[in-house]
Amino acid sequence: MFIDTLLIGISSGAIYSLMALALVLVWRSTRVVNFAQSGQAVLSTYIGYEITSKTHNYWISLPLAIICGALIGSLVDLLFMSLLSKRVKSGPIAEIAPVIATLGLLGLIQSVIGLIWGNAFLQYPSPLSGKGFTFGSHTVPFSPQNLFIVLASATVLAIFGVVFRFTNLGLALRASSFAPEIAQLAGIRVSRVRNIGWSFAGAAGAVAGAVITPTSTLSPNSLDLLFVSGFIAAVIGGLDSLVGAVVGGLVLGIGFSFILQYISSSVTFLAGFIILMIVLLVRPRGIFGKRVGRNA
Amino acid sequence: MLKHRLTPLQRAGILALIGIALLTASRFIGELRDYQGAQVAVYVIAISSITLLTGYSGQISLGHGAVMAIGGYGAALSFSLWHFPFVIALLFGTFVGTVAGFVLGVAAARLSGPYLAGTTLALAVGLPTIADQFKVLGGEQGLSFDIGDAPPWARKLGGSEFTQYKWFFWIAVIAALITLWAITNLLHSNYGRNWRAARNNAVAASLAGINVARGKILAFTVSSALASLAGALFGLLLGIVTPTAFPLSLSFAIVTGAVLAGVSNLAGSIVGAVVLVTIPEVSGALATHLGGSQKVTANLPGLVTSLLLILVVLFMPHGLRIRRFKGMKKLRRNT
Repeated sequence: MFIDTLLIGISSGAIYSLMALALVLVWRSTRVVNFAQSGQAVLSTYIGYEITSKTHNYWISLPLAIICGALIGSLVDLLFMSLLSKRVKSGPIAEIAPVIATLGLLGLIQSVIGLIWGNAFLQYPSPLSGKGFTFGSHTVPFSPQNLFIVLASATVLAIFGVVFRFTNLGLALRASSFAPEIAQLAGIRVSRVRNIGWSFAGAAGAVAGAVITPTSTLSPNSLDLLFVSGFIAAVIGGLDSLVGAVVGGLVLGIGFSFILQYISSSVTFLAGFIILMIVLLVRPRGIFGKRVGRNA
Repeated sequence: MLKHRLTPLQRAGILALIGIALLTASRFIGELRDYQGAQVAVYVIAISSITLLTGYSGQISLGHGAVMAIGGYGAALSFSLWHFPFVIALLFGTFVGTVAGFVLGVAAARLSGPYLAGTTLALAVGLPTIADQFKVLGGEQGLSFDIGDAPPWARKLGGSEFTQYKWFFWIAVIAALITLWAITNLLHSNYGRNWRAARNNAVAASLAGINVARGKILAFTVSSALASLAGALFGLLLGIVTPTAFPLSLSFAIVTGAVLAGVSNLAGSIVGAVVLVTIPEVSGALATHLGGSQKVTANLPGLVTSLLLILVVLFMPHGLRIRRFKGMKKLRRNT
């Protein structure tokens, strides 16, 4: 039982990590918490759904959905966020304007999806079985689909890890989030790098949406709770840290799984809030966040 | 916005006149408009809680729907379980919300920007699930908060056809006016000035002897008091409080309203509230006009709200009202 719960926790934690990673990528490049992330992810999942229903092949739709996710992320940055950062610079609203704007964008994307596809719950099946593996006579709740979720998330995380650690692009991404002005002076095109950060985030969200949706249903709001979990995970990990996003996601996933198993399903988000509070009271900028206190 | 220096008493006089005008007007409008008017009044209180928190104290909350839920449940519980008179029940709900707000505020004062947004978001999602855990809170069915018809004295004042909705309108309008009066006074006081100073430059403010953390906690507490009063009134209008009555979208809606109003403009909260209440009706009418299908009717309100929000943030970041004055000032300077 303990192992089962742990495995399920890792599976959902992997998804939270992906969502958290998407948020952290955007936060690092733009200093914006992208509330439209779940909208972008669900839009790319709908595109994947459309492709699957035309081709009847999940494996064609998956990479296409990821590419669309990256494109959507890039477009949101180009058309929307750059305009926002140009127009809103000062005043009491400057700090919350990005939050409001991305919330607005979220609503916009979701209502457009509703206009196109309707609000009904759709099935987006994957060829993998949702039934648990059987060992002898014991069937665990961990299914091939769960395994695929874990593998896909791990692959994405590994790719991002390699890109960030070993490539020039990764160095540019890290440099522009660390000190944008100095990076610019060093010859990095910060705005382009920032755009790449957004498209990476869009791709990560698209993967999350495409691999998790077969386990439930697809609707304009179906990824909202995933987003909330991802956000909590990112905050727990510290919004500046990619490692933190992964750790935060796993902590939250495993924590939720155990609470679900041993306490009650309805208190999971309350527990998430409590975990978040405890972490933030000890470390106001997350586990892996920089130790910068308030100035006053 | 703070140019007119009226004394609290003068302000009270003005608001009382407005109140009498509104209450008299309620005789001549239909049932539906009465109810919508009451909704506007409740939203005014809810939005001003965000205005105070974000516009004046520089903190952000995406969880004020949850604080409203605390107020609503506090009021409904004391009304249905302990049979408090409804006015006392409203105050009790506000009190419970204020205490909760103080606790949250202590935590919130340590957090900044996205960390605070994340925490309050988690609260908004997590808190309504508590109701399922305790039998006394009524679970999914919620708690009844039906205050019934108006008492005889109000019916005497309000005329023969003094329906329940007109009574709701009276209650909500009176509550909103008292609230606006109290906040305006507060924002003109030392506290209000300290909040703004700390918002504009925390370091300078603390050098000037302002306790920034204490100010933030106080702002969060006062804001929660307003939000929970709004929540209690919200429950009163619905006649019931349920976990689903205070969804995440409610938290977002009041932030939307505050932004539409220009976050640091108290009078603008009325504009924001009117917009929030009218959008569903206007877009509903639009959808039927377009001969819309199920898809259109279901999604048009969301589309309109989101578009409005985006356009306001991009093109009128200081709200629907203030911007115009700024433009005029610029015009004068240039000519």
